[in-house]
Amino acid sequence: MKLMNKVFAGLVATGVGLATTAAFAGDIRVGITMRMVSENGQAYGQMVMDEIKAINDAGGINGNMIKATLMNDECKSDKGVANANKLIFQENIHLLIGSTCSSVSLPIVDVTAKAGVPQMIPHSTNAKITQKGSEWVFRIPVSGRYYGGVNAKYVGENIGSKIAYICAADAASVGDCANMEKQMRARFGVDPAYRADVQEKEVDFRSHMQKIKSMNVDGILVAALAETMARALIQSYEAGIGEDVRRIGSSSASNAPVPKIAGDAAKGVFFTAAYAAADNRPIAKLFNEMTRKRYGIHAPDHDFSQAYDLVRIMEIALNNADLQLEQWSLKQDRTAIRDAIASVEGYEGLASGPISFCAAPTPQCRDGNRTAVLIGYTKGGENFETEVLARVTMEPDFGLE
Amino acid sequence: MLEIKGVHAGYGNLKILRGIDMQVPSGGIVTLLGGNGTGKSTLLKAISGLIPLMEGEIIFDGVSVSKLKPHERMRLGLVQVTQAKEAYPAMTVEENLVLGAYTRKDREATKADLQKVYDFFPVLRERRKQLSGTLSGGEVQMLVIGRGLMASPKMLMLDEPSAALAPKVVLEIFANINRIAKSGVTVLVVEQNVRMALILAQYGYIIRDGVIMMKGEAKKLISDPAVKESFLGGSVSDTTKALRN
Amino acid sequence: MGFDFNSLLAFIIFGVTIGVVYGIVALGISLIYSGLDIVHFAHGEMYMFGAFFGLVLAHNVGVPYPVALIGAMILTAILGMLVERVFYRRLTRAGGGYTVAGMGMIICGFGMSVALVNAAYFFFGAEAEPFRANLDYIPRLTFPGDINVPESYVLTAIISVLLMAGLHYFLRHTKTGLAVRAVAHNKDIAYLMGINVPLMISLIFGLACGLAAAAGVLIGPMQSVQVEMGYLMLMKAFAAAVVGGFGSLPGAILGGIMVGIFENLGAAYISASHKDIYAFLLLILVLMFRPSGLFGVEAKVKA
Repeated sequence: MKLMNKVFAGLVATGVGLATTAAFAGDIRVGITMRMVSENGQAYGQMVMDEIKAINDAGGINGNMIKATLMNDECKSDKGVANANKLIFQENIHLLIGSTCSSVSLPIVDVTAKAGVPQMIPHSTNAKITQKGSEWVFRIPVSGRYYGGVNAKYVGENIGSKIAYICAADAASVGDCANMEKQMRARFGVDPAYRADVQEKEVDFRSHMQKIKSMNVDGILVAALAETMARALIQSYEAGIGEDVRRIGSSSASNAPVPKIAGDAAKGVFFTAAYAAADNRPIAKLFNEMTRKRYGIHAPDHDFSQAYDLVRIMEIALNNADLQLEQWSLKQDRTAIRDAIASVEGYEGLASGPISFCAAPTPQCRDGNRTAVLIGYTKGGENFETEVLARVTMEPDFGLE
Repeated sequence: MLEIKGVHAGYGNLKILRGIDMQVPSGGIVTLLGGNGTGKSTLLKAISGLIPLMEGEIIFDGVSVSKLKPHERMRLGLVQVTQAKEAYPAMTVEENLVLGAYTRKDREATKADLQKVYDFFPVLRERRKQLSGTLSGGEVQMLVIGRGLMASPKMLMLDEPSAALAPKVVLEIFANINRIAKSGVTVLVVEQNVRMALILAQYGYIIRDGVIMMKGEAKKLISDPAVKESFLGGSVSDTTKALRN
Repeated sequence: MGFDFNSLLAFIIFGVTIGVVYGIVALGISLIYSGLDIVHFAHGEMYMFGAFFGLVLAHNVGVPYPVALIGAMILTAILGMLVERVFYRRLTRAGGGYTVAGMGMIICGFGMSVALVNAAYFFFGAEAEPFRANLDYIPRLTFPGDINVPESYVLTAIISVLLMAGLHYFLRHTKTGLAVRAVAHNKDIAYLMGINVPLMISLIFGLACGLAAAAGVLIGPMQSVQVEMGYLMLMKAFAAAVVGGFGSLPGAILGGIMVGIFENLGAAYISASHKDIYAFLLLILVLMFRPSGLFGVEAKVKA
């Protein structure tokens, strides 16, 4: 039967000719769209490709090869959506991996929901991604709603409640700010002492820092993408705000450009993440070693670990899925992959806690990782160092209305 | 001093000058006459090097300058005085004059020449700190001539020095041109004001449609019926008298 | 957050310190425009290259910051002259000079901008680079109301003013400067003055690109250095040039300072989340009510 189908598909393909993009039966087609404007981003994508190649070299998935296509979206939503459309409708992929940035992942969720293509999210933390009700979306990282809770708990109990907020306009930072604010209000009944909404790539924070300095706050939350955050951190010291005022980073704080660009200003910054390079588990040490050797990374951030976990979870799901991989079976195979990912439970890899999914299209089911680690920078610069401050697992419902 | 042999020139594919031959002898005043669009400005540009030659040759002071750039021709002493409207209005009178001596390296002589120009045109000394845009038409004409003198020229080419000036001012300007020629500078005056130019010059060329239509001694041209018919009208004696003064 | 005078003062001071940087980039744009009638759209990339040259000199070669500043200006000036000589001038030759190159030149400028960005990705990589300058010898200024102005900003303001003064002196009081102005006004007449016009055009480009490089090196320690930094700077500097009166050199500086103050005040009192809009809001207002710019002379009409 299978053989006949293959022959049939081949005939159809020849008959239709070159007018359609002839998809070769037998391959599992995976499309990846990620940010590659920074060298770190490139390495995330490279690692996904390398890991997929390793799976293929070891005999593939039940004898089928994975054909992966990697595209660059530069963390720009228009490019990400264009990539997703191309991958889905021209490459006829079975599974989409992407994207790095929340602002890109959010619109792609609508594309995959409409087309019926499973989407695995490697890095985006914005809580809304899984709140859209798509049954095709799976988030490997920790949702911002959990981060907000962990951050707020730690800040309120250890630092104080008078916090200034600097919130950049990218989707991840907007979400991080909103979650933090919400949790601070819920737990400690306080509103931000100062709040500045700045542009995604703001370069000049000095007037805000002047104001913050005059307010004698306990801490400053800097929610922004890595380079913007680094600039804000530097300028906070330039403005003369002392070390005793703690700097709290948003989810991007784990990215290597932050300590690299901010230098000494990164010291003392703490943030929540899904992976700590300071993790003592053997698997983490092996992973650190691997990224150092392969990609020359000083210490992998959680974007690396999440990309790695994603490939492992994908491998498990694809092995469990009953795939036909014929031209006619595209829709059926996509559904099978979706259901196989949804039934992954208790995966333990590099992530801060076990990752589980379930069938319902709800945030409870699709935010796979509920455990966040609190990490602090003990040294900035190229050879930055971190320490683990705490590890907290949240309830599935946490942070939802 | 200047010899033009079979010059063809124009802009892009448009040929305007079609075989011009002309000589300007050392030490005199020669005038090139013609109406609008006859090719006189194009010929001036070709001589000063602003447009390339298509054919022919230009020899200045015994040297072929056909291939030289404008500033290189200028260094040889072949200096064009621009039209009055082409002073730099946003620069002071003195800056304009200093600019005229741009190619010169002899600082002391340049300074002396500046004083000479001021002596020549005292009104320019009075106004030396003023922006040239604020000068009257006649004063600007003096300025551009002065600017030409600053280059220490062997030959000075003037582009319509009488344009848009009142008759009385024109007389003054032409008297000055006469003085310049007497000081030993060869002068080529391009003019539309045929009568005045022919009184001033010793020799005249009349250009039409890119070719030299007529040439000869100024005295003869002025009484030539053909010239008289096409350009002149009225008496010339008043002007002659005024110029001699 | 009610109104208080000290913050207002702080916003204005910070606006001025960033505004002078917009100003010196705008100065270059204005210089090229008034000299060559080119609206140079690749000028932001000259600023970016300048910043990277400064970074490489300071960090990789290890020269002191002032040397890096001057070195970056010279290298970028050479780059600018090369770009002009090799690419732009070809376009103008057919038209007989810069005045008629028009649309082709604008498109070429855009193309050059894209090409330079990609070249920068190739040479410098995509990562933002921190620019650490040792500025301990610069005094920290404290304004009334305890407004602390960091060293790098003091330095920026001082050097910008020095550069402007230097350019002013050069244009007004040297023979070469006089020739540059002559070329700027009319190239044909400049030729008749015996000025080597092509050389002056190269000089104008070199000066303008050197100024952009100075802005890049000055802003490096405040913001990190990255390949895409040029675009926004171009837009701000363009706004500054138009606000001050396109082609007017003092206008470019004042326009830059106005843009700096205006956007800081907008960010402070209206909303900081769309800060870049204010520069263009100012631009539109100026164009509506005073199209020649605030300090502009009458528009330069060319034949």
